[in-house]
Amino acid sequence: MELIIDNLSKTYSNGVKALQNISLEIPKGMFGLLGPNGAGKSTLMRTIATLQEADQGAVLFGELDVLKQKNEVRKMLGYLPQQFGLYPKISAEVLLNHFAILKGITNKSERKDVVSALLHKTNLYDVRRQNLGGYSGGMKQRFGIAQALLNNPKLLIVDEPTAGLDPVERNRFYNILSELGENTIVILSTHIVEDVKELCTSMAIINEGKVLLKGNPLKIIEDLEGKVYQKTIEKPQLESYKKEYQVISERLFLGKPIIHILSDVNPGNGFSLVNADLEDVYFSQIFGNSTNLKSAI
Amino acid sequence: MMWYNIFKFEIKYRIKRPDTYVFFIFLFLFSIVGVDFVFQGVELGGVKKNSSLVIAKTMGAITGIFMILASMIMGVSVLRDFTYQIESLMFVNPIKKRDYLLGRFLGSFAVLFFVFSGVFFGMVLGEFMPWHDPNDYVDFNLFAYLKSFITITLPVLFFGASLFFVSGALSKNLVVVYTQGVVFFVIFILTKSISNEFLQAILDPFSLTTLSLATESWSVVEKNGQLIPLSNVLLYNKLFWSILGVLILAIGYKRFNFNVIKSKRFRRRKHQVIDIQDNAARITAIPEFKLQESWMSKWTQLKQFTWFYFIGICKQASFWGIVICGMIIILINSVSLGTVYGVDSYPATYFIVEELQETSIYFFIIIVLFYSGELVWKERTVKLHLIYDATPMSSFVNLLGKYLGLMLICIVLMVSLIVSGVIFQTLSGYYNYEFHVYLYGFFLEILPFLGLYSLVAFFVQSLINNKFIAIMVMLVLFISVIALGLFGFDHDLYFFGGASLHTYSDMNGYGHFLAPYLLIKSYWFLFGMFLLILGSLLLARGTETSFITRLRMIRSRMSKPLLACTGGMLVLFILFGSYIFYNTNILNVYWTASEVTQFRAGYEKTLKKLEYVPQPKIVDVNLTVELYPSERNYTAEGYYILKNTTESAIGEVHIQKLIESNVSLTNVTFEGGATPNTQYSTYNYTIYKLNRALQPNDTITMRFKQTFTTNGFTTSGSNVNIVENGTFFNNKDFPTIGYNRKYELQDSDERADFQLPERSNRASIDDEIELQSARSGGDSDGINFEIIIGTAMDQTAIAPGVLLKQWEEGNRWYFQYKMNQPMIDFYSIVSARYEVKEDRWLSKTDATSHPVDLEIYYHADHHYNIDRMMTSMKASLDYYSANFSPYQYEQIRIMEFPRYAQFAQSFPGTVPFSEAIGFVLDIDDEKDVDMAFYVTAHELAHQWFGMQVEAANVQGRHLILETLSQYAAIMVLKQHYSEEKVQQFLALQYKKYREGQGKDASQEPSLALVENQDYIYYAKGAIAMHTLQETIGEEAVNNALKQFLEDWNSLDGTLKTLTKRYATTKDLLGYFRDVTPNDLQHIITELFESVEELKGNE
Repeated sequence: MELIIDNLSKTYSNGVKALQNISLEIPKGMFGLLGPNGAGKSTLMRTIATLQEADQGAVLFGELDVLKQKNEVRKMLGYLPQQFGLYPKISAEVLLNHFAILKGITNKSERKDVVSALLHKTNLYDVRRQNLGGYSGGMKQRFGIAQALLNNPKLLIVDEPTAGLDPVERNRFYNILSELGENTIVILSTHIVEDVKELCTSMAIINEGKVLLKGNPLKIIEDLEGKVYQKTIEKPQLESYKKEYQVISERLFLGKPIIHILSDVNPGNGFSLVNADLEDVYFSQIFGNSTNLKSAI
Repeated sequence: MMWYNIFKFEIKYRIKRPDTYVFFIFLFLFSIVGVDFVFQGVELGGVKKNSSLVIAKTMGAITGIFMILASMIMGVSVLRDFTYQIESLMFVNPIKKRDYLLGRFLGSFAVLFFVFSGVFFGMVLGEFMPWHDPNDYVDFNLFAYLKSFITITLPVLFFGASLFFVSGALSKNLVVVYTQGVVFFVIFILTKSISNEFLQAILDPFSLTTLSLATESWSVVEKNGQLIPLSNVLLYNKLFWSILGVLILAIGYKRFNFNVIKSKRFRRRKHQVIDIQDNAARITAIPEFKLQESWMSKWTQLKQFTWFYFIGICKQASFWGIVICGMIIILINSVSLGTVYGVDSYPATYFIVEELQETSIYFFIIIVLFYSGELVWKERTVKLHLIYDATPMSSFVNLLGKYLGLMLICIVLMVSLIVSGVIFQTLSGYYNYEFHVYLYGFFLEILPFLGLYSLVAFFVQSLINNKFIAIMVMLVLFISVIALGLFGFDHDLYFFGGASLHTYSDMNGYGHFLAPYLLIKSYWFLFGMFLLILGSLLLARGTETSFITRLRMIRSRMSKPLLACTGGMLVLFILFGSYIFYNTNILNVYWTASEVTQFRAGYEKTLKKLEYVPQPKIVDVNLTVELYPSERNYTAEGYYILKNTTESAIGEVHIQKLIESNVSLTNVTFEGGATPNTQYSTYNYTIYKLNRALQPNDTITMRFKQTFTTNGFTTSGSNVNIVENGTFFNNKDFPTIGYNRKYELQDSDERADFQLPERSNRASIDDEIELQSARSGGDSDGINFEIIIGTAMDQTAIAPGVLLKQWEEGNRWYFQYKMNQPMIDFYSIVSARYEVKEDRWLSKTDATSHPVDLEIYYHADHHYNIDRMMTSMKASLDYYSANFSPYQYEQIRIMEFPRYAQFAQSFPGTVPFSEAIGFVLDIDDEKDVDMAFYVTAHELAHQWFGMQVEAANVQGRHLILETLSQYAAIMVLKQHYSEEKVQQFLALQYKKYREGQGKDASQEPSLALVENQDYIYYAKGAIAMHTLQETIGEEAVNNALKQFLEDWNSLDGTLKTLTKRYATTKDLLGYFRDVTPNDLQHIITELFESVEELKGNE
């Protein structure tokens, strides 16, 4: 099963063009959707998750028209939104059970097993009887993924799932995701480049409602290999370097800016060659105008 | 100044919000019809609709009703920072608590003031509305409105503002704010039950009782002309609430601090859950399962939802707050149960149920309104809705589950009310718990009503994507429905929910009212379900909240099973509707209120001219009545003998059949033949031209057959006289002779609409024609009477006269009654399953008098006061026969009839007595006046004043009939009980007199010229007569009455025969004057002829 997004567009009533002719083909496995805040990631996720209408275009999940056959899609869907709350006075076990019924697991014993297994999987089994109001942010997120996995989804959509989680929690989260079956399409949106690099077999970079780049992360990095140079400079020098070179990123290290530039040839001037990174790709897409990169599948 | 900046910011913020304007416009529009709404159905008397009293009360009431707006506006003031989670940013700034609170409070209050100014403007505009009758208004006085607004509305608004502002600021919990609103409402209801009037006036937050008390002694003219001064009770009330408001602000100021964690006081500390570290990757396989979609699975989901939402509400503190408030109110109100004449009744189950219904209904409505919103928004409020909406859950099943969860809450609450009712009964020593009455009262009468309104509430909440506006809309709908009903648009097919169930009677249960009621409720329930389904299709799902989008999406959201369901229900709906229509409009005739009015106007315009056409009088009645209680039919067949008592021949006899579609009059024949003239058949008025004119003093027999048939059922207001157990009707249902005034329009406004002249309720005391009638349309001067009544096997039928014989025939039971002496043409026919208590009375003073059979027919369970009644019958007969004249008949019977009507009435030798006013009274001999005893004595007195002597149909008539009976009964009371009890009784009468006075628009007449002002001839009369006998002595009064009876009785009264007319108060007062010493003559004038107000003798 593949998820095909064909020329999807959406403009909000205040004029914001959230999605502009987005076309993507998403195969099985982990797909990373990378982009800055306000790029249109959440809008895209919600549309695929049958929660939002589009002005134009189509989304096909296998043979199903996602926009028109919402209920059918929901049977195979797992969704973890970017922001959500929980009923504070209910226990995890009770609420997870409730969701299981919502999703259609109405057989009591089957449900019991599934709920129990997922609680184990997300390491919430020992605290399953405690009220959700007392859960930490990480625990709530784990609950969130637990409910998304209840119906063994064929299409899992997780919207910025690790924002606000500490590194340990982040790891745990990705462990859970990586255990998912090979027959699942997982769409993960994030602005943390590391996440995509660690997990995803294909990705797309999206900004201002448009797809800037799509393909296999490794291949994309390959394209930049040998073209990225690095130098530590002084702060006042930043402006002039920007004028002179194609600066794709600037970072601070021990208080001093380190810049990465794109260059086909060695620029000299204290620059050293570095291995290209997905971050470089990302920054170059978002900020720079790189003419050398091409879409690679 | 810092506070000023905060103040400005608050105002700027609010100005941008639409709900500020929505609230203003809402109040404005409502206030335009405010006076009409608040005073709809209230007898204003002569007080004008824009008198300062009416304005003040209306403003007070509107402010009260919409206090919830104040809570919405003020409560969020500080709370807002927490709701939007901006408090951390706010509170770290170097602002002083004083500036922050003051600025916020003043800003919000300014907005509140603006919003409520809508009341002022609305009411002012309302005065100029074109649909008003200028007669109802005095000159426009802007100052009256202004003064009311400032003195009545502002202080309460200030108090409410302080309360809600502080509770929002301290609790940081919106739910607490709303619960405060409910508590406020509770306090208002509580103040109603404070018996000390002064205290009540001060504590009344909306100053309604305050205003009543302040203007209590004002005349109608004063009420219209003067502005209400801010003094006395009103001043104290306003001071009290204003000071309370300031106090609350002070407390709030002291307690508030810039902490971002909610203080312990209002929340239990969140229990922090300790996470368990486990770094090992947990490879766990998810077990196999199947996703279900069948009906079975939907059913499981539905059960789960219902239970889930039910528990969810149970866990909310606000819910318990409302419940506890409700319980308190009910407890306080249950102290006086079923009070009649100041006496409590036995805690029979239906009293308890009625009492509980009356008070708890408000709380149920509040719960439904509030929690329907909470439930629909439950997921969105915690931001869980996206997860929900991405599941394949059916919106309809979910919504239905929420609805059922709410209903389950209502059911649980009702059960607890029933339990408390039973406890109350047990504690009062009453053990006849009729559980079926409890169940019917709650689950049959209230639950369907709540269920229907909840369906609409859920629909409105789904439609309007804003919780508060939806609640407002619901309130508006609710009010509109009531308004529609008041305007006469009340046909069950389009009046939402249909009518309520008719009163329950121990005698007849719910009778024939139950089945149609259930049918109509089912019909509406189906409609409600459509709404729910539509709501579930319109419910915002996902992030699309715009209305147009939701409309477009209906198509794709409609699933096949849902479509099938809807289709099925539609079919049922049409079926039910048609069947109902068939019954109410085809089998029976449906009249709208305006059709009725038009008909009546037409009756008068067409037939009034025939009112005094000379007609014969009925002198003999002989009928056979077959009653069929279970089918609620009867036939009456027999004859009248008519006599020409005029000086000239009579060529036509005008017969008026009872104007009712169930009644048909057939086989009307006259001795010697006659030709019917049906030109007035629209009005059921037929003129029979006799073949041979009836000569003076001649008689003619008129035969007829009348049939009453019940077909199907009608909309509310179906007949309550011919019922399964407890049939009671009188001969005015049979054909009468000539024009009948009772069909005329009585309301003066309506008469004006149809250009009908003003109508007096009673003819002038000198009206020559009416002096010759004893009652309106008097078609007889006395009759001979014989009747045979057939009824169901297990029932007893009773009519006036000696019971000649009873027998069984064709599985029915027959009774034959005959009066051995002439009686007035006024008799009742009663039939029910009775127990009977029998006794005999023999005069102690007169050896020649005949014994009188005493019989009391009562419903088997109502044995409580039978002995009292029996005692009263004997005591009355003793007194009356000794002091007035011998009792004329051979028996006297009291018969209980169902509580559909609440009166007792005297017919010759028979007294039908309502279930509600004597049979279940719980008379505490120490605290109460024995009203069972008293009413019996009063009714018995009518055998003298009403049967022996009749009064002319002119002004003052009821002085003779009712006031004299009051007097007689008081005298019997005095004999048997103490003078103290008499005083207690008189005190009650004085209260009634004052109440009646307050409501009377017109000039209060004297007793001698009284028309239909019952507070005069019952209450004032009783006091006047008591005073008279105190002054000139009981014996003197009795002698006067004795003479009066001798001269004016209908049988052989000397003066009556001489003057050929009936007695008037002029005659009566003459007898009083005869027995009054010269120096006390003025008292007759004072008591009976002057219109001076009676002074209280508290």
